[in-house]
Amino acid sequence: MTDKNTKLDQQAEVVEADSEQVEASKPSRTLWSDAWNRLRKNKLALIGAAWIIFVIVVAVTADLWAPQLLGSPTEIDSATVAANSKLPPSLEHPFGTDATGRDQLVRVIYGARISLAVGVVATLISTAIGLVMGGIAAYYGGIWDTIIMRLADMFLAIPYTLFVIVMLAVIGQGIQNVFIAIGILGWPSIARVFRSAILSVKENDYVDAARAMGASDLRIIARHIFPNSVASIVVYATMNIGGAILTESALSFLGMGVTPPTPSWGIMIQDGQKFLQTEPWLMILPGLAILTTVLAFTLLGDGLRDALDVKMKDA
Amino acid sequence: MGLFGKKKRALDPADDLKNQPVPEGSHLLEVDDLKMYFHTQDGVVKAVDGVSYTLDRGETLGVVGESGSGKSVTHMTIMGLIDMPPGKIEGGDIRYRGRSLLEMTEEQMQHIRGNDIAMIFQDPMTSLNPVYTIGRQLGEGLRLHRGYSKEQALQRAVELLDMVGIPNPEQRVKDYPHQFSGGMRQRVMIAMALACDPDILIADEPTTALDVTIQAQIIELMQEMQKKNGNAIVMITHDLGVVADVADKIMVMYAGHPVEFGTAEEIFYNPVHPYTWGLIRSIPKPAGDEKESLTPIEGNPPSLVNLPAGCPFSPRCPYATDRCRTEMPELYVTETGHYSRCHFSGDAAFVAKNAPANSRSAAPASAEEGGEA
Repeated sequence: MTDKNTKLDQQAEVVEADSEQVEASKPSRTLWSDAWNRLRKNKLALIGAAWIIFVIVVAVTADLWAPQLLGSPTEIDSATVAANSKLPPSLEHPFGTDATGRDQLVRVIYGARISLAVGVVATLISTAIGLVMGGIAAYYGGIWDTIIMRLADMFLAIPYTLFVIVMLAVIGQGIQNVFIAIGILGWPSIARVFRSAILSVKENDYVDAARAMGASDLRIIARHIFPNSVASIVVYATMNIGGAILTESALSFLGMGVTPPTPSWGIMIQDGQKFLQTEPWLMILPGLAILTTVLAFTLLGDGLRDALDVKMKDA
Repeated sequence: MGLFGKKKRALDPADDLKNQPVPEGSHLLEVDDLKMYFHTQDGVVKAVDGVSYTLDRGETLGVVGESGSGKSVTHMTIMGLIDMPPGKIEGGDIRYRGRSLLEMTEEQMQHIRGNDIAMIFQDPMTSLNPVYTIGRQLGEGLRLHRGYSKEQALQRAVELLDMVGIPNPEQRVKDYPHQFSGGMRQRVMIAMALACDPDILIADEPTTALDVTIQAQIIELMQEMQKKNGNAIVMITHDLGVVADVADKIMVMYAGHPVEFGTAEEIFYNPVHPYTWGLIRSIPKPAGDEKESLTPIEGNPPSLVNLPAGCPFSPRCPYATDRCRTEMPELYVTETGHYSRCHFSGDAAFVAKNAPANSRSAAPASAEEGGEA
């Protein structure tokens, strides 16, 4: 009986000689290793992930080497301002120098700290609020669903950047308040995505089966609904980081975000735009930093969406 | 994962309801005139209207009826799985070991589900969570109700898989649901339902989604497990043929009402309700002439919102009289507990004239085609 069955299994494998299928029938693999296997094959997502890791490593370790090599990102050496102002990119200053003679590369590197921190922290805040709101709306439905989703509609109806600016005007400027403003205002989209994911997962028989096993509401949400809808949240949150970085840059550009002399990509673009026609690298290089980083998060998010889709296993 | 839901309820098995004796004069499960209505925008749907039966350990009850006859809703109600609202229990009681399930709190019911009364569903392809291994899902009930550790639960999962005849269980517990075939998954579902050794196993069309050869295996497996564990089984099906061999008692449901209830003997050989006759005539005979067509029950089940006056079966009943169309029949109950909801069930001459031909004879082998109406 046992032999017969393994034989049949082997035959089935031969029939579906697709490399992925054979890999899929190895017993040792888990959901996450499975997702990793699929992600590994997505070149664009890997490039995105590699770039994100590179930016993170550079930003985190910056204190150890960047000021020594390139000079302070904030301090202005008044004695050499005139000599060092707006130097074009060179070996000594790969990204050139700004109007006050500071090295542009070191400012871009320290700007990455702000951008990443805003992206990650704001997204964490949005996701936490969004998960709770979306979860309540979808699982309990009825009046809760109506209240929460209409509230979300109200938030989404107001122009986002304008809303953030108004909020910052109310609670005051500063990096923490940028986190809070972007974080709080980002929840409706996450709540919507999570709500619709739950609603589709909730219809599955295994949710009924779990209830029939005596599982509580909380357990069903945590053990059965959440893991099956987490993919869409991971994907959305990843892309949301890119969005939050853009928003922070826009705010800094408008003078509502980080206060100078703290370097931020938005502030650098703001400073550089005056010289776009004469010294274009002052604006273009920080702009490229934003572009590549946001793009990297989007590519990774796309790759994760494909990799985490459980349904693709059966296909 | 498992951020929540790690809270373990340390439970003394002695407190389990299933380890306490059935009180004198009670049955393991007593459903007493249960009424479950749904209040919808179109009106009140009387999905379950006056269902009564009793069940003891080791017994198998077959519940037979068309789609929408209330057989599933009755048992979802017993499990406490109907959302209320829109559902509302309008009357009756469900007693398990003498205790009313309707009076229990949600927390008490959570402990009853899976531990005392377990359920398996129609479609094994969607009843397992795709993100967890089989072993983990098999152990869930044990971890919930018995406070097993992960390792203990996995160990027991291997034994359970072995018990339901899945080869190579040590390897298979690590597999994911999509690596199992439909029949295998239904075996897993049975193992999962039986993990906590429940008193009652409710099987809601357990074989409908499976092909015929697998059907027989699954039913055989359920019987085998019943012999081993002594649990009661409620087998919900639309196919009288499925329960013919396995059920001790059969309840035939129509439009939310139980129209006939009795032992399998009584239902097959001494049926007294015209709907039961219709069902028996619609069972294909394996040895029958291929050209011979089945005798179907004409028409469709009525809308539960707008039931016909009188007997709900009257519009489709070939023997319906004006009385049937105006007056709801009383239950006709015999001394053995066999009951039927038809005005003419007590009329021996009417029954003898119209029942399917083989039903009067005691010997099942002498099945002859007949039933001239």
